[in-house]
Amino acid sequence: MMPICLLPLFLAVSAISQTPKPSPEPQFKFTPAQGIDFVLRNSPTSRKYLIETMPGGVALLDYNNDGLLDIFLVNAGRVADPLRSPANFDRHDPSYWNRLYRQNKDGTFTDVTVQAGLQNAGDTDYGMGVAVGDYDNDGFPDIYVTNFGRNILYHNNGDGTFTDVTAKAGVAAGGWSASAGFLDYDNDGRLDLFVTRYLDWTPEKSKTCGRIAEPMYCPPGEFASTTSILYHNRGDGTFEDVSAASGISAKPGHGLGVAFADYDGDGFTDIFVANDAIEQFLWHNNGNGTFTEVALNSGAALSSTGKKLSGMGVVFQDYDNDGLPDLIVTQLPHEPYVVFHNDGKGSFSAQELETGFGALSGNVSGWGVGLEDFDNDGWKDVFIVQGHVFDNVRSYDSSLNYREPPLFALNRNGRFEKGDPGSDLPVAGRGAAFGDLNNDGWVDAVTTSLGERPQLYLNRGGKSHWLTITLRGKRSNRDGYGARVQVNGQVRFATASGSYLSSSDKRLHFGLGSADNCDVDVRWPSGIHQKLRALKADQFVTIEESEQ
Amino acid sequence: MIIRAALLVYFLLPAQIATSQGPPDATKLLQSATDAETRGDLEQAIADFRKAAELTPSSSIALLKLGAACMRKHDYAAAIPPLKRAAELSPDSLPVNQLLGYALLSQGYAMEAIPHLEIAHDSGALGIAQFQADLYEEAVVNLKNALAKSPADTDLIYYLAKAAAALSSESSERLLVKFPQTARGHQVRGQSYYSAKMFSEAEKEFETAIALRSDLPGLHLELGEIYAASSQWTQAEGQFRSEAKMQPGNAEVAYRLGEALLQAGKMKEAAEELRRSDSLRPDMPETLYALGRALAVSNPNAAEQVLDRVIAIETRSPLAAQAYLLLASTHRRQGKSDLAARDIEEYKRIHNITSRPEQ
Repeated sequence: MMPICLLPLFLAVSAISQTPKPSPEPQFKFTPAQGIDFVLRNSPTSRKYLIETMPGGVALLDYNNDGLLDIFLVNAGRVADPLRSPANFDRHDPSYWNRLYRQNKDGTFTDVTVQAGLQNAGDTDYGMGVAVGDYDNDGFPDIYVTNFGRNILYHNNGDGTFTDVTAKAGVAAGGWSASAGFLDYDNDGRLDLFVTRYLDWTPEKSKTCGRIAEPMYCPPGEFASTTSILYHNRGDGTFEDVSAASGISAKPGHGLGVAFADYDGDGFTDIFVANDAIEQFLWHNNGNGTFTEVALNSGAALSSTGKKLSGMGVVFQDYDNDGLPDLIVTQLPHEPYVVFHNDGKGSFSAQELETGFGALSGNVSGWGVGLEDFDNDGWKDVFIVQGHVFDNVRSYDSSLNYREPPLFALNRNGRFEKGDPGSDLPVAGRGAAFGDLNNDGWVDAVTTSLGERPQLYLNRGGKSHWLTITLRGKRSNRDGYGARVQVNGQVRFATASGSYLSSSDKRLHFGLGSADNCDVDVRWPSGIHQKLRALKADQFVTIEESEQ
Repeated sequence: MIIRAALLVYFLLPAQIATSQGPPDATKLLQSATDAETRGDLEQAIADFRKAAELTPSSSIALLKLGAACMRKHDYAAAIPPLKRAAELSPDSLPVNQLLGYALLSQGYAMEAIPHLEIAHDSGALGIAQFQADLYEEAVVNLKNALAKSPADTDLIYYLAKAAAALSSESSERLLVKFPQTARGHQVRGQSYYSAKMFSEAEKEFETAIALRSDLPGLHLELGEIYAASSQWTQAEGQFRSEAKMQPGNAEVAYRLGEALLQAGKMKEAAEELRRSDSLRPDMPETLYALGRALAVSNPNAAEQVLDRVIAIETRSPLAAQAYLLLASTHRRQGKSDLAARDIEEYKRIHNITSRPEQ
């Protein structure tokens, strides 16, 4: 690809503004995924162990590089009632395994878990989430599974199989891990790994709250905080725990969600951790291997009314096309999901009310979240999977529901309006991953819910144009994670992370509205700036990092 | 405390009453009993008063003194028989009726105590007795009268609060039992459901009440609050608008409407309504804070002024902490980073104070 000059920004904006009117049809077709028989078995007990209500993640990845997205699902485990220590979640039964489903050319899926060598989830582990990244730059995506217990790094051997390399890599973590993600925080061309951990919880420390006759899960404040972990990739298949040296372990929290973006444009990827019931954490990357937690002073710690968020899922992308990554954090009801608008110069303002989330989300509980241009009109929309923490919440508050349908909201010039996700089926939703499953140029969603099969929301498509980009880093990490990609005035930060416990399609999707061509501007983590002009719309392109 | 006061009244009675009646032996016994009581020897005093009463069966003085001594000994049960007899002999005597009323009240005979406390014109004790006898309306009247004379009496304040709450509950119950299908009946039922967080049931009751009496002020406000509690802001806005039409001069209604508009993301309309509320009832900190929130993004300069007013009123409350946090955001948007940093420090300082558990 030849570097070329960008068109003036106003031309790009002009193209976006000619967007066709949205179709009254639901944007998605809610459909069972043929061939997927996975059930998220969280094993609820009468004792209401908090862990039961928190899984589980989903990843969309092309593990065999056949051009089709495959689905990896994290299962939870069997919870004894009562649970004894040391915990054994008895995952020998195949119904408790994590599962990898390979997508076939006809859109159906085949369970390849055993064939891929992913069947051993570990009896001492209760499954939580998943992260995907090519940590050894061999061109095949690797899988990291978080657990209560020992996390697992599966190296993709490139032949359809995976090898558990956790011990060698030194990334087992321990404790209660939640969301994780790959990023290259020091721009050395190798993906590092960030792991959030939720609480200092064990079966012995477990408590039950609520009324004697109606117990409920305890809030996180009943348990001690714990620290997140940052692993630095040494480049030889091993990682070094740099949590202390980087400053990450200096501030314990209740980490559930994590997302990455360079919010202040200094060329280094920053980290946002969605904490439950305490201040949120924004780890500013100082560019020298250390981080400083700046959420409160930057305006990204609390809601606009100064309340602590029950932060669950998070996405770190630009919703208002001003080129700066914003944050959307999902949380529990009675407070809307929070939008931290990036005001520039390193500061944020909570604008959940200005963006319409007060009306959209005041009485629901959000988990996995995606900010994608689902209708390809040039503005990123929101899809959030929902459901309360407590399975008996109605006995405490009849205005709330344990099972809820997802929230789909269309972005109208930076303000969100309720859309139709194609299903009002209520579920106890948790994980969510986004990607173009059928390669039709329209982003689909796969969500998980407790005790049920995953939900597949296939995008019905429309008339607007689009462009989907695969980055191939050379000096930068091969996935291009951390790159800032601008297409016709819209910006995306390359990542598979965000949402809750989940990992999305790493390809960067852009809706182009009525524009049938576009200009692309890529700023790689290596510092290389690459421009492409007048690319035709409606295609998948791979952009290889240029030499300079 | 009330009983101590009554005993004081009793001891202020003219001493000659005790000494001017009865035979000499009785007079001597009364004197020796009084001396013993003065010394604090209540056993001896009670024994002597009892003998004196036996010697003067038609006089109420020895009986009154005997009852009072028993009460000083906190033996209220023993005080009741002599005081009852004294009341038979002197039915209009203020101290006799007052002490008897107290003794009966202390033993739980509230209904029986009431006529004696009425004679004694002791509105405080009477109010308490009436409260205990479930006569809430009368209790409220008497306790308010007593409080006018003794505004710092915590017992009276406590009982007035209890009696007023019980009266409210009783009145509501009466509405529900006698007039269940009226607008007010549905309103009261709706309030009960709302308290129990049964929002859909509460909503139905208020809708029925409005259908029956759309002219009643307050119904739309309460229904709007139900919608607000479940974050249904569009519906809440509709109800608050209806209430605002009926009560254009009500600052609270204007505030509620402004808050609903704010939550619905209608920032300009919210600001207008909140300004209207501020003009109707100035310097309400919640109204000013909400106004600051409505203006924070679109007009940071105006937001800054309003939030400064909040901070001036609420110096150390959680709302002041919230105001500093919002002010920090406003100052950041204005490019005043030094002021924003100062606001955050103030936020932390107040937050640390207000979030500290009470000792």
